[in-house]
Amino acid sequence: MAPSSSSGLTFKLHPLVMLNISDHFTRVKTQLNPPSSSCATRNIPTTVGAGAATSPQNVRVYGCVIGAQRGRTVEIFNSFELVFDPSSDSLDRSFLEKKQELYQKVFPGFYILGWYSTGRDAIESDMHIHKALMDINESPVYVLLNPAINHAQKDLPVTIYESEFHVIDGIAQPIFVNASYTIETVEAERISVDHVAHLKPSDGGSAATQLAAHLTGIHSAIKMLNSRIRVLFQYLVAMQRGDIPCDNSLLRQAASLLRSLPAAHSEKFDDNFLMEYNDKLLMSYLAMITNCTSNMNEVVDKFKTAYAKKSRTGGSRIPFM
Amino acid sequence: MIGGTSPMETVITSIQALSASSGDLSALHRILKGAEETIRTDSDLQLSTLDQLDPSKHSLGYLYLLDVLTCGPVSKEKASDSVLLISRFIASCDAEQIRLGSDKFVSLCKRFKDRVLELNDPLRGVAPLLTAVRKVQVSTKRLTALHPDCLQLCLQSKCYKAGFSILSDDILEVDQPRDFYLYCYYGGMICIGQKKFQKALELLYNVVTAPMHTVNAIALEAYKKYILVTLIHSGQFSISLPKCASTSAQRNLKTWCTPYTEVGNCYNEGKISELEAVVVAHSSDFEKDNNLGLVKQAVSSLYKRNILRLTQKYLTLSLQDIANMVQLANAKEAEMHVLQMIQDGQIHALINQKDGMVRFLEDPEQYKTSEMIEVMDSVIQRTIRLSKNLIAMDESLSCDPLYLGKVGRERQRYDFGEDFDTVPQKFSM
Repeated sequence: MAPSSSSGLTFKLHPLVMLNISDHFTRVKTQLNPPSSSCATRNIPTTVGAGAATSPQNVRVYGCVIGAQRGRTVEIFNSFELVFDPSSDSLDRSFLEKKQELYQKVFPGFYILGWYSTGRDAIESDMHIHKALMDINESPVYVLLNPAINHAQKDLPVTIYESEFHVIDGIAQPIFVNASYTIETVEAERISVDHVAHLKPSDGGSAATQLAAHLTGIHSAIKMLNSRIRVLFQYLVAMQRGDIPCDNSLLRQAASLLRSLPAAHSEKFDDNFLMEYNDKLLMSYLAMITNCTSNMNEVVDKFKTAYAKKSRTGGSRIPFM
Repeated sequence: MIGGTSPMETVITSIQALSASSGDLSALHRILKGAEETIRTDSDLQLSTLDQLDPSKHSLGYLYLLDVLTCGPVSKEKASDSVLLISRFIASCDAEQIRLGSDKFVSLCKRFKDRVLELNDPLRGVAPLLTAVRKVQVSTKRLTALHPDCLQLCLQSKCYKAGFSILSDDILEVDQPRDFYLYCYYGGMICIGQKKFQKALELLYNVVTAPMHTVNAIALEAYKKYILVTLIHSGQFSISLPKCASTSAQRNLKTWCTPYTEVGNCYNEGKISELEAVVVAHSSDFEKDNNLGLVKQAVSSLYKRNILRLTQKYLTLSLQDIANMVQLANAKEAEMHVLQMIQDGQIHALINQKDGMVRFLEDPEQYKTSEMIEVMDSVIQRTIRLSKNLIAMDESLSCDPLYLGKVGRERQRYDFGEDFDTVPQKFSM
């Protein structure tokens, strides 16, 4: 189900869509499986043929994506949720049309481009939904988000499928084909998505845990940067030694990267930079001294308890002669 | 002894055979310990027998034989030879083997030091003892019995720089308190010689506040120097000892140091003439303790302290006024003092020579240079190391049965059997 698309359309996906889908999924999953009580009984969309209660990971959410198509570029800007009817295995049509009207009023330039769902792969029933949407948009897109968290995975777990008619077993059938996409964003969207994505849970709200979480984030980012620079450096050293054949285009790219550093280079900048650096060092020093003092306090307390000679007046005087 | 091997030869052959690996070395060590008496009484033993052994490969055996050879009283010429022999041995011996017989090595080096002092040539002993200290030290944090001897030789031969290199390690573990007192006392004197008064103050402070049952002579001498160095370095004198000093020190030290406390009190007043009078009055005491030079330095530091006080009151001052207020002879001397202080970094000022005015400035350190970054970084690293040591100490104390016993006893009162008690209730040994 994953040959590449040959339609020649370029797809641009906005981060807002991904956030919406993931939010929808998380909300439904939490409603289905609330942390305090056992599983609730709610009308949730189930996968075909599963029958009884499904595990939370198999919850599928459905919705619509909207955007604009200019020439060969399809840009997916926004999305909204839809109601899925498990009995007929299709989306609720009247609801969709109502929402479409509302969104048309607010965003006049956006049309329904397709639909989204969550899961690992596209399944059979998705084709029905896809066909049903074909009367709104002759070639809808199917955005699939994989909600499984995989730390080793470097790319986004989002795939965009198109439908194409291929001849299989002598019959022309529509199948899903993979389409490549890029992420596109505007400044305002970037800031708000960044803000939302970094929301910390409110119960860990003490300043210390928030600071620790923030610093951990910075630490992991710096570690990643460091490892990438190291890879690049080792590659260049190997090239210099002659172990690897010289690749001129890569060398040009590396050179242009280096030439763009440092971003600012003036005496005033250096001055300010060093002063701030020293201030931070002084703060860390103060923190270290406080830490050390508290350790010393513990040691002295323990020492006093262990070795103090109790004098006759009751309280323990200066310990250990 | 024709036809049979003498016990000496058996020892030598076993040394030559068993000096290769660590397993062999422990066997050799046992043999040597057993054979010590026979070696001692063997009349065959000469300096020439040592030629059969190589000091770098057979260090342990060489050590035992050398120890026996040099232990008796010896004439002056022989002393010089033995000194040479021992210094060659120290230079070439193997540190691993030496650590197995560290007591013998330490006593050998002490004997070496005595011989060198008898020969009135302490300089010969400085370098060998420095290497000896490094070789016998298990880790740089541990104090050995050789540290104070090495420092003593450095003091007597006046090579302060060599002694200072030993002082730069932080000592964290001490075996014998006497070694520690001597180490800090000599170390303080070396720092005074190098004019590093801050470090001298730290070392002397360690001696004065070290735990002791009764006052000992080392602490007394250290306290006298401590008073004088506080005057030179920080310009203040307080009659009471720091709180962490032992009770016996707090009660007794002051009674033995009355001339020094008088100097200190007079220093606090700030009048040069009175201070000089006090010094002259007690000069015989100072001479007896060999502290007269230090006292003179303290007197000259009073000028510095007074000038420092002036910087806190005035923004500009003429040289003549400075001379009057500090009771110096004339403006020229005042200018010299101020110049010296600017060079030492004790004050920040500008001297305008045309009209003889001095303008006092603020500390120009902005803390925004990259050198400052290095200073801060090294200081932070040092604090981190100290913190690690403290945590290790904390853990070892938590496992100390004495501590657990006392804590267990206290908890018994509050425990009502509700929650699971992790500390043993009644820890009986």
